[in-house]
Parts: sequence; C-alpha cells; structure tokens
Amino acid sequence: MTEYSAQLVVIGSGPGGYTAAFRAADLGLDVILVERYDVIGGVCLNVGCIPSKALLHAAKVIDDAAAMADQGVRFGKPKIDARKLRDWKNDVVGKLTGGLTQLAKQRKVRVIHGVAKFASANTLRVDIDTTVTFEKCVIAAGSQPVMLPGLPDDPRIIDSTGALEIDPLPRRMLVVGGGIIGLEMACVYSALGTDVSVVELLDTLMPGTDKDLLRPFLKIVKPRYEAIMTATKVVGMRPTVPGIEVTFEGKDAPEIGVYDRVLVAVGRRANGDQLDAENAGVNVDERGVIDVDNQMRTNVPHIFAIGDIVPGPMLAHKATHEAKVAAEVAAGEKSAFDARVIPSVAYTDPEIAWVGVTETDAKAQGIDYDKTQIPWAASGRALALGRSEGFTKLLWDKDTKRVIGGAIVGPNAGDLISEIGLAIEMGADAADIGMTIHPHPTLSETVAFAAEAYAGTLTDLYMPKKR
Amino acid sequence: MAKTFDIVVPDLGDFDNVEVIEVLVAAGDSVEREDGLITVETDKAAMDIPSPEHGKIEDISVSVGDTVSSGDVIGHLTIQVTDTVVIAPAFKHEPTGDTTVLSVPARPAGEPQRTGRVQTLVVPDLGDFDDVEVIEVHISMGDQIQVEDALVTLETDKAAMDVPAIVGGRIESVLVKVGDKVSEGASLAIIEALVGGTPTTAASSAEEPETALDTPPAVDAKPQVETPTVVAAKPQVESPPDALPPINEAGFARAHASPSIRKLARELGVDLAQVKGSGAKNRIRADDVKAFVKAILTGKAGAPAGGALPKVPSVDFAKFGEIELQPMTRIQKIAGPRLQASWINLPHVTQHDQADITELEEKRQTLKGPARERGISLTPLAFIMKACVAALAEYPKVNSSLADDGKNLVYKKYCHLGFAADTEQGLMVPVIRDADKMDVYELAEQLATLSAAARDGKLKADQMQGATFTISSLGGIGGTAFTPIVNAPEVAILGVSRSAMQPVWNGSKFRARLMLPLSLSYDHRVIDGAAAVRFTTFLGQALADVDGLLEGASR
Repeated sequence: MTEYSAQLVVIGSGPGGYTAAFRAADLGLDVILVERYDVIGGVCLNVGCIPSKALLHAAKVIDDAAAMADQGVRFGKPKIDARKLRDWKNDVVGKLTGGLTQLAKQRKVRVIHGVAKFASANTLRVDIDTTVTFEKCVIAAGSQPVMLPGLPDDPRIIDSTGALEIDPLPRRMLVVGGGIIGLEMACVYSALGTDVSVVELLDTLMPGTDKDLLRPFLKIVKPRYEAIMTATKVVGMRPTVPGIEVTFEGKDAPEIGVYDRVLVAVGRRANGDQLDAENAGVNVDERGVIDVDNQMRTNVPHIFAIGDIVPGPMLAHKATHEAKVAAEVAAGEKSAFDARVIPSVAYTDPEIAWVGVTETDAKAQGIDYDKTQIPWAASGRALALGRSEGFTKLLWDKDTKRVIGGAIVGPNAGDLISEIGLAIEMGADAADIGMTIHPHPTLSETVAFAAEAYAGTLTDLYMPKKR
Repeated sequence: MAKTFDIVVPDLGDFDNVEVIEVLVAAGDSVEREDGLITVETDKAAMDIPSPEHGKIEDISVSVGDTVSSGDVIGHLTIQVTDTVVIAPAFKHEPTGDTTVLSVPARPAGEPQRTGRVQTLVVPDLGDFDDVEVIEVHISMGDQIQVEDALVTLETDKAAMDVPAIVGGRIESVLVKVGDKVSEGASLAIIEALVGGTPTTAASSAEEPETALDTPPAVDAKPQVETPTVVAAKPQVESPPDALPPINEAGFARAHASPSIRKLARELGVDLAQVKGSGAKNRIRADDVKAFVKAILTGKAGAPAGGALPKVPSVDFAKFGEIELQPMTRIQKIAGPRLQASWINLPHVTQHDQADITELEEKRQTLKGPARERGISLTPLAFIMKACVAALAEYPKVNSSLADDGKNLVYKKYCHLGFAADTEQGLMVPVIRDADKMDVYELAEQLATLSAAARDGKLKADQMQGATFTISSLGGIGGTAFTPIVNAPEVAILGVSRSAMQPVWNGSKFRARLMLPLSLSYDHRVIDGAAAVRFTTFLGQALADVDGLLEGASR
C-alpha cells in the first residue's frame, strides 16, 4: 500500500483538472493530480477538441481546394493517406500532452495514474494499492460518450473516440445524433470522401440552437451528404457481412440502410457515479451530475467539482474557468464563477458560434430584445473567400442598448465570437462596438456593422428607418 | 537588568554647535521617555532634547553656555532593559545585548506557571492585503499578555487593524518594529504560552490557550514550527470568509460592470446592484465599489457611491506662501470620516443652558482633599457624569439609538458614558461601562484610569465601544458655549464649557452664582426640542443638588 498526502488532490487531468492543479500549485498549495489513463490531458486533448480539430483542418483544406475549381483554380483529386493523417493527428496530441507533463513537473504537481474513488471525506483510494489523504479535493472527472442501449457489439459501431481513428476510411457512414460532435465528425468524413448520412431523433439538427443559424450550414452540407434525416428514430442495428444494417422510423427516412461504419454521438454522460462519492458524503444526481455553488463547492465544503461533471454545457473553456475558481477558493481566495456568458462553437464547415442570449432563450424567457443582422454577402472579405452564405447577428437589450447575445455563421465564426463575448462581459453598447475601429477587410467587420446597424450609423448596407 | 547608555544629541537638521540655554535635569532624576533633558537654542528656535527612554539620569555632562552638535554625548541614562525593547535612535553606543531581545529574562518567583511551549505569533489572513505596514507595536519583551490583546496595529490603504494574540503568555521577543511591512504568516513575536495564570486571569488563561491551540485540526498532524500559519490562521472574531456573503445575483448580473470589477465586488461582498456607477454611461468602476464600502464602513449605509455632495474647491496653497505638509495622525484619519458621517446624516440641533454649580463646587472643594488621600482626583466631570446618569434614567430616549430601518428606536437598558479625551494623537472617546451603577468616586476613578490609557495610546478597542451617551468637556480650557457633534449612532452629546461667576437674579436681588454652560447637541429625528430642554433643565437641577449627586457615595 502506497500512501500519499496533499493539501489538494485533483481527480481527472482534463482541461479542468490540470488547470485546477496548476492554479492551486501557483497559489502555493501542495497538489496531487490523479488520472486514470496513462496520459494526462483528458478527453479534450486526447480524444476530443484537439484531435478533432486537426482532422477538421485537413477536411477544410480538401474542401477549400475543391471549391476553388469554380474560381478557376483546379486541383487534382486529393490522395488521402489515412494512416499518415492519423499519425500527424496523434503527433499533435503528443506534443500537447508532453507539454502538459512538463508544466506539471515545473510546478511540482505530482501525477498519480490510476482510478480514484473516495474512501472517506479526506481519503481517496487510487486503484487497489494506493491511498491519498487530502485536505481539499477538486473533482474534475469529466464525462463519457453515451452509447445507445441494446447495440450489438461490433467494431464498426463506434463512438466519438473511435471516430478519431480514421484508418481505415469507411465508404458509407451513418452518424447517429445531429449534435455538434456528430456534425463535426460528419464534416471530417465527408471531406475525406465518405458518403455520410446523419440521423437525429428531434426535428432539427443541433437542438436548442437558433434555427436561422442552421440555414447557411444546411445550404452547404445538404448537397454533400447522402441524407440528413431529422425526426427519425433508429429502431435497430444488425451486423451483417457487408455492413451494419440499420432500421429507421421517420417520415423522410428509408426503412433500412446498410453502413460500413456507424458513429453513435447521442450525447455525453457525467462520470459522477464512478467515484464512490457517497463515501465522502458528496451528492450525485441520477444523471451522474454533482451540483455546486458559485464557488464550485459541492455539498461537502472542502470538496469542489468542476467541468463536465457539474451542471451546464460540457465545454473545456467552461471547465478551465471553473477550475481557476475552485483552485482559488481552495487556496483561500474569495473567487466565484461570475462569467455572464459561455460561448458555444460548432467547428463544422461553415462554423456556427453563439454567445449569450439566443433568440430561442429570449423567446422562452420572455426577454424583450432588439436584433440586428448583417449578411456576409455585404462583406468584401467574405466574398473574396468565396463564402457569402454566413451572417452575423447581435441581440440588444432594449433598455440599456447593451449587447446581450450574438451569433455568427461562416468560416472562422468560432474565432470571431470572442469579441462579442468580451463586449457582453464589458457591458458594451452599440456605439461602443461600432465606434471601435475594426480592420478592413476582415470578417470581424461584420460585428461592427451589426452594431452600427443598431446605432443607426451603418453605411455599408441600406437599412430603411424603422420609425 | 539595568543598563547604562550614552545620551546623545539627535539629528538637529541643519544646525551645528547650538548653545545649551537650560539644563532641565540633574543626576539621580527619574525621567520618562520624551521628557526634556536640556534646552538648546539655534538662531531660529529653542528646542528641548528629549529623553530617549524611561529611566534614571546618571549624569549630565553639559552645562548652560556649552555648544553641542548632533551626536555629542551629553550624559548617561540607566534603564531597565526588560522594560523596553525598542532602543531609541538617540543612543549612540548600543552595548551588546541590547538588541538581542530574544534573550529570556529571568523569571521572578511567584509568577504563573507556563507551558514552556514557545510559540510564534504570526500575521493572520489579511484578506487581499500583502506588505501591510506595522504602524504600532503594542508589546515589548517580557509583557504579560492575554488572549485577544492587541500585538500590533497594521494599516492597509483601507483600514487599520489590530492583530490580537491567539494565546496568552509572556512575550519572549518582538520580531517586528514600526514601519515594517508584513504579510500573512509573517512572524510577529515569540511567546511562552501560559497555562496557570495569575488569579485574576485564571479563568480565561486556563481555557483559552488550550482551545486556541487545539481547535484547528491540521495542527496536530504537523510539527508546530512548520505551521504557525495554521494555528493563527483565523484568530479574528469574524469567521473566515469560507463562503461569500449572499448577494442579489439577478441584480448583480445586470450591473454595468466588467469582470474585473465584479471580481473585486465579490471579494468585498458588495452587491453591485446597489452601487451607482460614476463612469461613462454609469459604468461601475473600482473606485465606485470602494467608495460604496467606505460609505458603509463610515455608517453611511446605502449612501450613493460617488458622493452627491459638492466638493470644497482645492487650492494650491503654495501659490500664496511657504507651506509644510504634515500627515494626519491615525486617530484623526479614523475620526474625521465618522464626524463627517454624523454631521451629514444627523439633523443636529444644539440646546444651550446653564447650571448653578455654586454649591456643588463648594462641596467638591471640601471633599477633594480627603479624596486625594485615597488616590482619587474628584473632578467636576465626575459630578456632571453622575447628573447625566440621573437625567438619562429620567429621559431614556436620550439614551436610545435609531434602528437601522429608521422605523424603530432601540432603547438600551444600560448606561455607558463616553467622554471625549484630547490626546496628542487626536480626539478619542473612552467609555465608562455601567456608569449608572457607580458613585461619584468610582466615576472619578474610571475617568482617571481611562484618560491615562487614552493619553498613553493604551486604550483597547472594547474600551472605546458601546457608549450610549457622550460628554465633551472643554471647561478646563475655556469657552462659553459650543455645538458638539453627536457621536452617532448615539442620539445626543453634552458639551460642557468653562463655569463662571455670574450675577443671577433670584427674584429680589442679584447674587453671585457659579454658572456652568451646558450645550446639548441632539439628533432631531429622535429627540424633539421640548424633550431636549426638559433634559437640560433636569440636568441643571441635578447639578444644583449636590447632596443628591453624592447620595449613596462611599466617602
């Protein structure tokens, strides 16, 4: 039995976990980080954000090259070495996780590999042979993909982690689940030459997102994908020699389809029920979620929880901010999670990004708002990119004239959305944004245009006066 | 342990070879710190060279007519080393051992038992402050202190605070001096913790050190020396800011404030929904949050930040002649905003009256001598206090306060009298607790004790709190009337000016009477004019009836 003790122990080394560990170490705490896998970095680095973005970049290069044919630049058909592409992706991941290990060393954060479970409110058991006693603990144990119940055990049926192993490339693939993860992977495989179908139980893709954001996206992907089946249920899967035979139920769906790969991306489940949290007295709900206050404390005051395992969107950038709050509070600072908005981005092509109040939220909550929207067809830069399908919209508080939400569809929307997030946090109004000089010609100008439209000073479009 | 030191002439500025015009002490004299030893005269001014310490003059080696310069030895002084730790800069040659304040003085027989457990007293959690200046050191080597006694006073840009002892015992050494900058965990002093204690402190010292040491569970696990911070982490009365104070989250979320300002507000527990922004478009700035906190601290709760009050124009005084900038004392800095808060918030009215104290004064003169033999200085103020106690019992509203909600009066079933004491540091208001249970002699004794403590800067926080009514007596200096400022949240204050013989018409002829001017300032929200006059009239009658005031007094 090996015994360790630390002032702070962090369970899970994803973006939330390592941020909490590093911040706490920087604040002078003696920290142990426990990770169940051999490499630190969690889902985001190893099997999530980062590797998927590497593949999406490849997909974008392929698509952009093909798109230039209309503008008179014709490339040959790309030859795709799926193994090499996968190795490059793994290289990117390796660099980042290696860097993390280095950062942990520099901060004297001890990393223990093994599965952590609570033995008491001040003790963790890691695997069977190690105990860690702690004064304070941050649970950052994350989430994992949900598999549909009753699926046959077949290597051709994969989750988002498996989807990153692109070698060998399938010819025909079904993506079950029309959320962000499913659509991003659909994007990758489509660009790599796979015939992609998407099936979603609800009547819209990316449920909860404003419908208008999907229109430019659908305009691009519909012609490329074999089928997009909404309001359709997968009722059965049967492995056969040629492929997985999937039966559907829905108005636009075929009764049956055969796919040589099926990606199940129907959501993620918090890992709260894998920790024996009851031994520490920490409450976990039936969805595996641990509730916390605005200082990230669980119902047990010296135990904190952050990231996917607590309520809210399962996003790395939410986890890192929560992590800093938890570490600071654990170190005795008076921090609290106080962010007004958390941006969301679908790294599809085109990208879809939104932050703050959406029109869907506003309608549901009865928030009275104004809206201005700039089609990218009015942006010289968008036209020069050959991508005029997108738009930028901003939502405004009618009383204060401050921006309360925004959404962008189009290439680089994920990068462009940050400005709107900053504007909301700073309480900027239309004049503040509009009078900030944006460089020309850029896509970022569309944010300024949308603000000018609200301030009534826009000249790049003709907007008839309302009153 | 007595040691003899050279007395040297301190830095005289630009002057050298100044003439000694007077020698104020002689060999064998006992002197206090700051007592004048010799007077020198430059072409600009005469000044006293003060004694650097309390002690006994061994000899003075200069005489009138000599000239001296900075650094010259003018005599020798013997002091008790155990009594003092801070060696004043005027000593030129510090014999070895002076600064080794760590050495443990021999313990006289009959002192309380000690644990022998030597502990370091450290700076507790200071919130967000680091490198805070030590502005006062209240302890010296060998001092007996009790739990909660102030060790040092620290001053941040926001407030001054005392750091209390977490255990009682005897100070072995003091590790900081005025002007040092300290942060959380810095060592202040080494103490030998007390177990038994003298009979007077037995109750507290027997238990408190135990609990103070044992409460934090983390201590046991680790060696004592390593974790003094854990022991001392939260000695303050206020519990650690484990959870943030609850605020109106919805309003907070709408407030026009950037993330950094919101962080600051959370740390200070400020509800941004209540803060008015002074920035462009009413944006809340850091200064607004701080002003809001200041307003609350000075009693202007809920007052709009930014201040709607017109400002006094600032003037460049140097334009009109030579000036010199002198920092205000700490007491002045603390008292100023409180006086202003009271002046701004309370509708003040002052009622003037006169009391006939002819008989009181005659009686006092006859009692004064015998009282002095018992070590009591029977001052007029003791009688005035006795009269006030009676008047407050008759008119309890004057002893009340306005509740925070502005809708209720808080009647206090106790009577604690504050009195304004003029000290070198500024105005202080010591409080005599339960003055209504004391006779004139006891009041006089308390007055003397607390006044002395105030002058020496030894008043403890609880000796300046809880007053229900305050008396400001300027009679010893002069004046005929003035308008004192109510010491809010009290509702009235009695100003006393100098008594004077006056011809008083008694219906048939003028008679010479000793009249004492009384000035009662009151909060007109609580006390109306008629009640105020009734109060001062009652007070006047009580003062005229000296036998009544002396009733029950032990002579």
